[in-house]
Amino acid sequence: MRQRFSQSLVFFAGTTLCLFGQAPSEDPLAPTSLSANGRQDGNVSAPKPIRSSQAETVRKAGEDLRFGEEGARVGAAKLLGKYPGSLSSMMLVGALDDQSALVRRASMVSLAEQANNGYPLYDKSLVEKVFSKLGDPDVEVRREVTAMIPRIVSGLMRGGMEVVEINGQKVYRSVPANLRPDLHQLAIRAFSDEDAIVRQNLLKYHQYIRVALPASTLVSLLGDPDQRVQLEALGRVYSNASKRPVVEKIKELSSHPEKGIRLKVVDVARDSNRYNPAYRGILRAMTKDADPEVTSMAAVELARFGERIAGDVIERIKQYLLAARGMSSQVTTILYAVSAMGKDGIQVYRALTEHSSSKMRSIAWQRYLSLSSGWQTPEAWLPGMSDRDKGVRDAILMSLRGRVKSLKTEELGELVGSPYADVRIFAGQTLLTADQEAFDQYGFDLLIDEDTVVRSTTLRAMGVRRVTGWVRIMSRSLLDEDYVIQRVAMDALLTDRHEGVKALKEYVAGNPQARISALARAELDRLGVR
Amino acid sequence: MRALVLIFCFGLFSESGQTMEAQEVDALRSSGIRIVTLMRNLNATRKYPDALPSLLKTMNEETSTRFDTDPLFISELTDERLMENPILYVNCDDQPNLEFPAEELAALRRYMEQGGFVYLDAGIKASFLGADLGHSYAAWEERPEVNELFRQVYPEKSFLPLPRNHEIFRSFYKGLPKNRDLMIEANQKRLPETVLTFVEQEKWPQGTYSFVGMKVKGRLACVASPICAMGWGKDEFGSWIPPISFRIRESAENFDENLKLASFSGGTYEVTREDGLKDVIYSQLGQRPLWVKEPNGRWRIFKYYSGEEISNYAHAFYTRLGMNVFLYALLN
Repeated sequence: MRQRFSQSLVFFAGTTLCLFGQAPSEDPLAPTSLSANGRQDGNVSAPKPIRSSQAETVRKAGEDLRFGEEGARVGAAKLLGKYPGSLSSMMLVGALDDQSALVRRASMVSLAEQANNGYPLYDKSLVEKVFSKLGDPDVEVRREVTAMIPRIVSGLMRGGMEVVEINGQKVYRSVPANLRPDLHQLAIRAFSDEDAIVRQNLLKYHQYIRVALPASTLVSLLGDPDQRVQLEALGRVYSNASKRPVVEKIKELSSHPEKGIRLKVVDVARDSNRYNPAYRGILRAMTKDADPEVTSMAAVELARFGERIAGDVIERIKQYLLAARGMSSQVTTILYAVSAMGKDGIQVYRALTEHSSSKMRSIAWQRYLSLSSGWQTPEAWLPGMSDRDKGVRDAILMSLRGRVKSLKTEELGELVGSPYADVRIFAGQTLLTADQEAFDQYGFDLLIDEDTVVRSTTLRAMGVRRVTGWVRIMSRSLLDEDYVIQRVAMDALLTDRHEGVKALKEYVAGNPQARISALARAELDRLGVR
Repeated sequence: MRALVLIFCFGLFSESGQTMEAQEVDALRSSGIRIVTLMRNLNATRKYPDALPSLLKTMNEETSTRFDTDPLFISELTDERLMENPILYVNCDDQPNLEFPAEELAALRRYMEQGGFVYLDAGIKASFLGADLGHSYAAWEERPEVNELFRQVYPEKSFLPLPRNHEIFRSFYKGLPKNRDLMIEANQKRLPETVLTFVEQEKWPQGTYSFVGMKVKGRLACVASPICAMGWGKDEFGSWIPPISFRIRESAENFDENLKLASFSGGTYEVTREDGLKDVIYSQLGQRPLWVKEPNGRWRIFKYYSGEEISNYAHAFYTRLGMNVFLYALLN
């Protein structure tokens, strides 16, 4: 015969020895001294009435909660929420059986408040009492319970050891970390609660309490009249994704009138593809969806699987992205995923280089040039140089630098005529590889540019190319007021040990006090030139 | 509306001595009005990155205005692009501080004088909230940093509370959200009675909120509000993000006696009310505020309510409020 000790001991992992096993607060029953608080001292305008100690406050509220009229009981329950601790928790849990729904609600809100402030219930019997209120007739109480699941789960699901007496002998045995059977049943029933928020919360948190979601219940919730519940249920498909009824239901939902549901179906079909090949078919069908956003999402997911996308579908994606205003996360996903279409994606990115959103244009230009090797054909990227947004131009220039081959006269002319300094700087950089004819025509235009960086870049290119009369140009540039220009000229002259160094020496001798002269002397010394 | 916007932009340009080319007008028309957002540290984490784009998208869907849903970020008020756009949005909680060099202060003054509108979100923040930045509180006074900033921009002016009947609260939407605005089934709107009563009568009566504003040349050129951006964001499925819980002040029997005597271990703070009187907030160390003593001697307790229906309601309210502010800025 097995006889359980009437006072059997339950040892829980991590238990402290305080009442009800809760994490100890800073001596909740200790009286509070107002004057000991520095923060209060700084606020002299506040009244300082004579106050009771915390223990007295909690005791008084506890009395009101048990013996007061309904209104007083509600007030006491609200007040106790401000005093986290084992005593107040026990009082609030006790009030969960109050005949007044208002008191039960106030108690549950106060328990939630304590949990949110970092004092969740930890004692298993108290937590189980709270969870049992999942069967409360008041919907607000049930909502609070389901919303609190993440906060109470550690107490609810704790395992441990217990001592029982079997045939007169003490036996230690483990207590499984499972939900009590009656509470488990309550949770299963709550999947079908009349209130949608209760159903939704339970769907969100059922894994915390290790309550499996049966396939039949999942199918039923996938067809829930409430869309939030449906969306939540769609997020739980993976656990039963291979089951035929679930696949059928997902197929049905792929033509749901609500776009949000259909978009979620795309995600689900993508993630569930590994469990059942039928999901790939659902995605294919969804590329024919009436909404271009859904079409686009389905198509990019197929492209990521390596499927070739039909031309008409690509055209719809292009139109969708062109009509999109700004970079929502959905648009961003599609925009980047177009790359998965390979060469088919080039035309989409090309079209998007004229989008109204600068961010979209930047990405489109980068992808377009990258996928099409567009840096080899100036006519492909030259239109981007007149973009009004500097960020877009920067993105293009970043893709071009170091890759552009020799530019022709009219191409370089277009860059030189740009109103944007960043483009003209790029023109100066391309002088290094430009046609001689183009160089002759535009080199000097850039050399007198209003922007210092344009001039210095051009000067550097001239130094490298050693154009006719370059030493004279550099020598004159040493007289420039701008240190950047002087520095570039000096660097160029130093590369020629004969004419260049000679010119530099002459400059230093003639302008010993000039700002660049000190550096020039040091450089000449380094070369062994005296 | 679009024409008005263009006229507005023309106004800015003509006063700054520039001429807008026809091409730029076309560009503006095609891409919509761009909101300039100040982020003094462009690499800093934004608290509500989805908020403003979502709000602008909603405005495009629900009104005939056209906003570029891609806000333009600037890190300095001297950025020339500021003068090209009519509205500057600043989430004060996203800034490392509100101390600007003299040239930026001058640029801000110039911007407001030439027709620009400045919206200081989180420009009101009750001191007792501490580092808990994600909360709003209906104090009727700008935060000290904002006060200090504008004392340098306009020493002769000060922020004044906007009355509940101000046009900014009804420039497009009027009143509080209805069921259909909540995106949930009609039979689901079950805000707890205490929450609903408080919201309708005290928290946001007729869809208004605590705003303070500053006029320049007779025009409301700058407003400051408690944080509203937390209620604008939507995810890719159109669901509101992040979840919002309500702090409400509610009463019960015996509170006047009980709270007068009840213990507390935190500080007390004074907060300016709409009528200029002061509430005294009691707090507990490391916790959210406890209760309030109102100037009429009544004691009430703070309770936080959360849940789908509450979050939806708050989001619908903040979005409507945000739309009203931006549309007011364009129309006035």
